[in-house]
Parts: sequence; C-alpha cells; structure tokens
Amino acid sequence: MKYILMMSATKAGVGTYHTWSPKDAEAHMECLRTIVKELTDFGEFVATQGLAEPAEAKLVRGEKNGLPVTDGIFPESKEFLLGYWIVDVATPERACAIAGRISAAPGPGGVPTNMAMEVRRLAMPPAHGENSPGQSD
Amino acid sequence: MKYILMMNTMRARQGVPNWRQADLQAHIAFMKNLNRGLHESGELVSAEGLTFPEQAKLVRAGKDGAPITDGVFPESKEFLAGFWIVDVDTAERAYAIAAEVSAAPGPGGAALSMPIEVRPIMNAPSQEMF
Repeated sequence: MKYILMMSATKAGVGTYHTWSPKDAEAHMECLRTIVKELTDFGEFVATQGLAEPAEAKLVRGEKNGLPVTDGIFPESKEFLLGYWIVDVATPERACAIAGRISAAPGPGGVPTNMAMEVRRLAMPPAHGENSPGQSD
Repeated sequence: MKYILMMNTMRARQGVPNWRQADLQAHIAFMKNLNRGLHESGELVSAEGLTFPEQAKLVRAGKDGAPITDGVFPESKEFLAGFWIVDVDTAERAYAIAAEVSAAPGPGGAALSMPIEVRPIMNAPSQEMF
C-alpha cells in the first residue's frame, strides 16, 4: 500500500527556517537523508519532494475558454505544504512509524521539531491514470 | 523547472461518489486524456490521487520517537484530492496545464473550475529553505 506523508508548516512559520544555524540545518538534513537511505534499503521508498516558499505559489483556475487565470493573492489557509514522502509499506502502522521518525528530525539546538505529519493512503489504482514512481531528486 | 499542481477540494464537497456514472466516466476520461498528452510531450513526472479524508491520520513523534497518531483530523477547509508534478520550461506552461486540470468536467459535463495550487519544486530539496 502506498502512503503519502505530508509535512506542513503554518505560513508564518515557514520564514523561521532562515533563522536556523547552518549546523542545525545540516543536522536536520542529515537525519532526513538517513531516513530516505534506510527506506530505500528496505524497498519502501517511492518519492520525496521539497516545495519552494509560499511567495512563489500561485492559484490557477481555467476560464471558460480554457485559458489560465492566475491569482497572485494566495488564499488564507493556515497550513502550507513544505514537502512530502511517498512510501510503499505493508501496513498503515508502518507508514505512521515512518512519519513519526520524520517528525522527530532535529530542529534548532538538536531538539526534535515534532512537526505534525499528515498520513494519507494513495488511491489505488491512481485515480487519474499515469503514475511514474521513483522520483527522488 | 518542476512544478507541483495540487487539486484541493472542500471537505464537505468531497462527494464524487454521488456523481452520475456517465459524469464520473467523462471526468476520468478527461483526466486520462490530459495525462496521456502530458506523458507524450515529456512533461509528466508523476500524478497521484489520494483517498478520502476519513482514512487520513495526523502523526507526531513522541519523546521516545514513537509515533502518536491522531484519529481526529484538524479542521482545515481544504483537502488535497490529488496532484501532478510536471517538468516544463516556463511557469506560464505550468499555469496553462493547471487551467486544463481546472476545466475538467463535473456533473452534467460542466467545467468544475477547481482552483489548482501551483508551486515550484525545490532544485536541491530542502536546502533552499535554510
């Protein structure tokens, strides 16, 4: 079963990453790299992506003629997706265990961030056809 | 440049199973056709659909690193139904694809005009944050 583990921050909280010391940032990244390496070794890793900051986000709707209408003003949602992991695991408990490890990645001063991770099963088969797993860059 | 196109629906309106069979089939055929076109143009990286809200969990690590799962999902109005990752030359192309997705047919064949959130993917994942 495939699960997506979504890491969200509050929109206001995204900026606080810039205040982390390089050492804290490196420790955080090293922890996440280790988790991905282990998941790869277990054959559970499917994909991970990090997303750019809120300032670069757009909201798009199709007009009647099919042309895009982009909205510079982003809707006021409190939560903002920072990145996600897709894992292929035997049980939902395993997906939650992995989410727990990611949540425990160290933040400033080595203290775990304890960020809330949203865990959701992917629809099987993919609801909209194409599906090319294995993206990891 | 890689972009993610996120299709959010209102939680209260996640009633796709209530659509007429013909409407549902037209919607899925539209999406399949769209994906085929993106695949053929070499722009599709991946696409996934997500299951319904009642299967979602919120997880935090406890002090010992063990997961604490929360059955009660936080009350956000929007809920991710699925996403596409595309690799395109310009942001405008990503917006154009998002508009196509937005115009997918709903009940009675009318365009849904769903808002699609378009965000660039980080080049070196997460390092840009700091």
